[in-house]
Order: sequence, then C-alpha cells, then structure tokens
Amino acid sequence: MSRRLWAAAAVVVAAVALSASAASAAGETVGSCIFDETTTVKKLVDVDFKEVERIKNDIEAGEAKGASDREKEEAKKAKEEKDELVEKYETDLEGCVEAPNPIRPETTEIIWGGLAFLVLLALMTWKLFPRVKDLMEQRTQRIQDAIDDADRQRAEAAEVKANYEAELADAKAEAARIVDEAREQAGAVRADLQARAEADIADMRERAAADVEASKRQAIADLQSEVSDIALGAAEAVLGRSLEDPEVQRQLVDDYIASVGAGQD
Amino acid sequence: MNIFALDFPPVSHLFVWPDFLFTDTPIALNKTGLIYLISLVLTAGLFWAAGRRRSLVPTGAQTVAEVSIDFVENSIIMQTIGPDGRRYLPFLTTLFFFVFFSNIFEVVPFIQFPANSRMAIPLVLALVVWAIYHVVGIRAQGFYHYFKGALFPPGVPKALYILVAPIELLQILLIRPLSLAIRLWANMVAGHLLLVTFAVLSAALWGTLYVPAVLPFAALILLTAFEIFVSALQAFIFTILTAVYIGGSLHPEH
Repeated sequence: MSRRLWAAAAVVVAAVALSASAASAAGETVGSCIFDETTTVKKLVDVDFKEVERIKNDIEAGEAKGASDREKEEAKKAKEEKDELVEKYETDLEGCVEAPNPIRPETTEIIWGGLAFLVLLALMTWKLFPRVKDLMEQRTQRIQDAIDDADRQRAEAAEVKANYEAELADAKAEAARIVDEAREQAGAVRADLQARAEADIADMRERAAADVEASKRQAIADLQSEVSDIALGAAEAVLGRSLEDPEVQRQLVDDYIASVGAGQD
Repeated sequence: MNIFALDFPPVSHLFVWPDFLFTDTPIALNKTGLIYLISLVLTAGLFWAAGRRRSLVPTGAQTVAEVSIDFVENSIIMQTIGPDGRRYLPFLTTLFFFVFFSNIFEVVPFIQFPANSRMAIPLVLALVVWAIYHVVGIRAQGFYHYFKGALFPPGVPKALYILVAPIELLQILLIRPLSLAIRLWANMVAGHLLLVTFAVLSAALWGTLYVPAVLPFAALILLTAFEIFVSALQAFIFTILTAVYIGGSLHPEH
C-alpha cells in the first residue's frame, strides 16, 4: 500500500471521527437543551421535592400541634434545600441559552495545542527545516558555480576570439604588405626594363645613325672618287689630251667635288 | 436561537466540542486538539517530503516548502528584521504553517472548523512570541537599555514621557500579546460564524422554498473562498507581526 493511500485512509478516518462529533454537537439546539435540562431537573424535583414536601408537611403538622425546636430547624433546612434546587434548576436552564465565555481558553486544548506546536518546533529546528534549507543552499551554490563556470568559459572564448582576430589582422596586414612589396618590386623591375630598353633603343638608333652616316660618307667618298675618275676620263676624252700634270689636275677636281659635296651637305 | 424561523444552534455549540478521548482527564482530546495534532503532522509531513527527494529541480512538496521558506525569508524577515533575522527563519516558518493549517480546516469538508477560533493556540503562540521578543531584546541590548529604549522612545518631548512610558509599558507587556492572540482568534470566530450562518440559511431555505436558497448558497461559496484567503492572511499577519516585534527588540532604533 503506497504512502498516498495510507494518507488518504488516515484523512478519511479522521474526517469521519470529526464529522461524527460535529454532528452530535451541532444537533443540539437551545430547545433540545432546555428539554434535556427540564427532564433532568423534573426528575430531580419529582424525587427531592416530594421528600421536601413530606418533611414540610410533617413539620407543619407538628407545628400545628406545637413543634419542637428541632422540628423547626428541619423545616428551615428543608426550605433551604428547596431553594437551592430551584436555583440549580434556573442556572442549568440559563446555561442552555447562555454560551460559555468564548474567549476563555480550554485547558485541554491548550495542552494539546501547545504540545503539538512545541513538538513541531523541535522537529523543524532539529531536522526538517535544516534539510530543506541545506538543499536550497546547495542548489544556490550549484547554480552559482555553473554561472561562474559559464562566465569563465565565456571570458576564455572571448580571449581566444580576440587572439584569433588579432592574428587574422596580422595575417591580413602581412598579406597586404607582401602584395605592396611585390607591386613595388614589379614597378621597379618594369621601370628598370623600360629604362634599359629605352637605352638599348637609343643605342641602336645611334649606332644605326652612325652606320648610316658612315655608309653615306663611304658612298659619297666612293662617288667622289668615281665621279672624279669619270670626270677626268671624260675631260681627257673631251680634251683629247691629258693635262700636263695629271696629279695637279686630279687635285683640282677633287677640291672642286669636295666643295660641291660641302655645298650639298 | 430562532432567527427567521430557523433553528440556529447556540453559538457555544459551534465552538465547544465534546471530548472523545481521555474524557474527564486533563489531557482530554476534542476536535480542536485533534486539528492541532493534524496541523503538526501536516507541517512535519510537508517538510519531511520536501527534504527527502533531493532533486535539483524541485517538484510537489519541495516546491511548496521552498517557496514558503523563500517567502518568509524575503518578504517577512528581510523586510522587518534584516539579515541578522535569518536565525529566526525556522521558528517563523513553523509558526506560519502551524497557524495556517490550524486555520484552513475552517473550509476543509467534513471538518469545517478553524482550530484557532478557540483561544488555546492563539494564546499559547502569543505568549511564546511575547517571551521570545523580550529575551531577544534583553540579550541584544541588555535589560536596562531594552526597557529604556522601549519605554522612552527617542525623539519624544521629555514632558510627554509621563504619558508615553506607561502606555509603552502596557504595550510591550500586555497589548502586544493580547492583540496578537485576539486578532487571530476573533478573525477565525467571525469567519466560522459567517460560514455557519450562510450554511444554515441555505439549508433551511432549501428545505422550504428551494429557489431563494441559491442566494445564501452563492454567498456561502464566495465566503468559503474568502475564508481561505483569510486563513492565509491571518497566518501571514501573525508571522510578520512576530518578526516586527523581534526586529524591534533587536534594533532599538525602530
């Protein structure tokens, strides 16, 4: 049988016990109370009053005959007894409609209630409360630890990320630097090549010009020599005779040609 | 008592229960005493169950107990005493639950009686509280300073002490415990009377006229809900006033 069933059974038993007593108490009304009281007191009156009446009658009978002191005493006592009974009858009946002072605590209730509270307080402070409280504190500690741990890990991750990013930035900077350097080098090489090519070209142009000049000169010289030969021959042929001094003639012709060539330049 | 032709039970019969165990002895047990015992069992059972299964995520009884402890700690102690009041946490939690369970039987079917509508436990608890706040005050401040601080509160014109001191003396010796006890007791008496009145009215009207019984019955349902609230509220008030008194004894500046 599980604990819950035990608890349910206990509650039902207690409820039945309590509702039984509640019903018996609540069933009593002012009317039924007065009826009960009247019945009891009436029995009492029936028994005791008859006795009292008998004594009284005896005494009255005695008094009529001239009663003794003892008899008078008895009569007085009987009357007092009667008064007492009437008073009790009245009080009991009043009790039906007069509630007991509701603020006056019942001793037995104080005993049970106080005992219950003290036992509970002892149990709670000794064992029950610290167990629950410890549990709560352990949980708080665990959660705090977990949060601390998470914070630490987050910090670590942030550090790693920062390092990574720094490295990445370095790498990028390095790459940019390398590219720049390469670009610079390429520029230098190009400028160098260009300069060299230009120099070569200039050189070649110069040489070509010199060649042309030399060829021209050679050609002119060849032409002069040929022209002078041709001219001499032609002149000889035309004159039909050689000049008296061929060497002098040649010189004259050459000079002439040179002057013509210079004039042509 | 005859009201509107209703047979109303005498008031004493709503509160005074016949003994059913150990009758005619000083430890005679009646319904009131039994409810006190049930309150003991329920509170102890709740905390036993809460401390038994030590799971990280609380469920059931564990939740109830932990939420209550948190409530007493943060909403009662921290508000009235401060951090040094934490050592009274077990006492105040016990007080709260014992008073609450004794009250709540007002609306529990078949039992339907608030044990605190009898003067026994309100008086006992008030006296316990009375003793505790005096002891705490004397221990924290010393006898002379405790009573001097209580009877001659600072900031009052000297001439007024003739009036203030006797009133304060009455207050800490008599009025505090009595008001504590009577507040709880009278609230539960009133609640019980209200519920009985409307229950009797409903029953009587149902027995004769049927339809008009709906009104008192609706009132009965509403009042039952209200009395659940009152049960918790009175337990809370009793506990927080206890904390206030202890706080006042610990810290005289209040």
